[in-house]
Amino acid sequence: METTKKRSPWINWTIFLITVVVVFVLGMLASTIAERRVETEYIYTPRVQLTQWEPRNEVWGENFPAEYTSFMNTRDTSFRSKYNGNATIDMLEVDPRMVVLWAGYGFSKDYTQARGHYYAITDMNNTLRVGAPGIDEPEPMPATCWTCKSPDVPRLMNKVGITEFYAGKWSRWGEEIVNPIGCADCHDSKTMDLRISRPALIEAFERQGKDITQATHQEMRSLVCAQCHVEYYFNKDLPGKEGVQYLTFPWDKGMQVEDMIAYYDEIGFSDWTHKISKTPMLKAQHPGYETWITGTHAKRGVTCADCHMPFMSKGGQKYTDHHIQSPLNNIANSCQVCHRESAEKLTEFVYDKMDKVITQRDELEKMLVRAHVEAGHAWEFGATQKQMDPIQKFIRHAQFRWDYAAASHGAAFHNSIEILRIISAGMQEAQQARVELAALLTTIGAPYPVPYPDIETKAKAQQYVGLPMEKLHADKQQFLKQMVPQWEEAASRREEAWEVVYY
Amino acid sequence: MASMFHFLIPPPTWRLPAAIVMGAIVGLGLYTFRISNAVSYLSDRPETCINCHVMNPQYASWFHSAHREYATCNDCHVPQTNPVASYAFKAMDGARHATIFTLRTEPQVIQIKDAGAAVVQENCKRCHARVNENVHTMKVSFRMAQHDQGQLCWDCHREVPHGRVSSLSTSTYARVPRLGSAVPPWLKNIMQKDKE
Repeated sequence: METTKKRSPWINWTIFLITVVVVFVLGMLASTIAERRVETEYIYTPRVQLTQWEPRNEVWGENFPAEYTSFMNTRDTSFRSKYNGNATIDMLEVDPRMVVLWAGYGFSKDYTQARGHYYAITDMNNTLRVGAPGIDEPEPMPATCWTCKSPDVPRLMNKVGITEFYAGKWSRWGEEIVNPIGCADCHDSKTMDLRISRPALIEAFERQGKDITQATHQEMRSLVCAQCHVEYYFNKDLPGKEGVQYLTFPWDKGMQVEDMIAYYDEIGFSDWTHKISKTPMLKAQHPGYETWITGTHAKRGVTCADCHMPFMSKGGQKYTDHHIQSPLNNIANSCQVCHRESAEKLTEFVYDKMDKVITQRDELEKMLVRAHVEAGHAWEFGATQKQMDPIQKFIRHAQFRWDYAAASHGAAFHNSIEILRIISAGMQEAQQARVELAALLTTIGAPYPVPYPDIETKAKAQQYVGLPMEKLHADKQQFLKQMVPQWEEAASRREEAWEVVYY
Repeated sequence: MASMFHFLIPPPTWRLPAAIVMGAIVGLGLYTFRISNAVSYLSDRPETCINCHVMNPQYASWFHSAHREYATCNDCHVPQTNPVASYAFKAMDGARHATIFTLRTEPQVIQIKDAGAAVVQENCKRCHARVNENVHTMKVSFRMAQHDQGQLCWDCHREVPHGRVSSLSTSTYARVPRLGSAVPPWLKNIMQKDKE
């Protein structure tokens, strides 16, 4: 055979190069197929030995990279849902009425939506509510406030004892508590089983005659959250522990809002006295667990983790997504495991519930502002404590219900009917307070109606309740500049001394 | 055409290297064929569908359903009107799945697409027509359902056959047939003997 034409060399080179590329790509394809064939075969090989109260999340991360990496995603602050999300939101700016409702209490100074668990320590140092220890004394908050913020807490409790941990002021543990909420808060380091690390939940169970060690794994997937996402108070009168602000859950009469009100009334507890109406008030914290447990998802056995930390499979390995967040930012992996509707439709369902609850909550809020202001007027015009007693009782109960609905955040979704029931009962009480106030004001000859205060903005509202905001901010800045770096330095010196043992 | 063919034939001096290179490509292609179980895709065996482990939960739920006794994956998920339609649909779906899996872009929750749902609906009717002759809903097609002119079979029979809860992570530990090693047993045997 004879070739008639001579090919120019560049054609051969081109063919050569194409061949190289094709073989290379085929090789890559073959190796990914081979990889994906075997990736389900997995052997757990821990790298470090974990001690029982290891508070440093990054050390656990050496053994559990998938979980740790997803936990670190709680740094994200870019998601805003219709009302919440993981961004910093100044709630008092959004809703200045709260400043009046909390007049005389720390929350009227500063109430910023918490970011992800990663920021637990930073956000606490930053808030005006804990004051500026070392700059402006005496400091307002007790050591107990740290309880939910860090895996350093169980470490310390184990070292100094529970009561001793709660004793003293907040700044006492500034050097000791530096790692944000993480691994050791919920896990046993030897077995990786879920574990309750906070005594308040165990004690609350005991008083109810229940043994928390008998909880099933599925129950534990909510109970570890219930260590913190619950309503609580600081009991100063525990026999033998007087003066210590002992963290306690008000569950002895039951876990409904009425049960808690009855509990607080019986022991005569109040968080603070309202600056305007002089009412002994209750602050609801965040009864997330108590409200969730009444809802449909809970009744179907769906736990906190199922939606807020859904299972993931990557590279054939199943793990729990430790990016704890609003499922609204992760509908595809949470809701849609069970619900076949589109993400848009599911979001719409949730927002619809939230809209309805929040509209009613706002109405109750306005009533409460009026009730406080009118009660303030009654005092000015010479009302007596005896006349005010029944009115204050209505205000106290109504505001606890309002706070219960507001602070339970997700409850508008977890059980909208229960929350609307709580709000409507609160409205009844607030209205009752105002009816009695109207009668009282007329009796004592005070002018009626009482004008609604100008609380359009956070600044106006804070001025109205008489807060020295400039000083609070200045002290805080100084505290962050002077004290916090000292704390951090002391902590890193301590942690450097802890040896990490590799296998 | 003839000149085109001539163009592809290398000059005599190049024939040996060209043959080696072509051999490398074909060999690598065959290897890819083998480890991707390519031949299995021509069959109707359900095990084929778990060549990629992302389908393990679907295999497991099917395996524990009544449908296991009568219907394979393809009986429901591939059109059974004629062989051309069957293979065309299979090829399209398969190529898409393979691409997604190779690029690691599979979602955590796999949901059926419209084209797939239309096929399944027709296949429900194909087998169950006799039993449900007088049931009006047997006339409903996917397109009708989309226009609110009826409900799909699984709008009511929601558990059939895969259950309602499904993601890549459901039944991860179900005992489904494994792929095993790509190395043929005879080769393994030889290598084992060599070691001894």
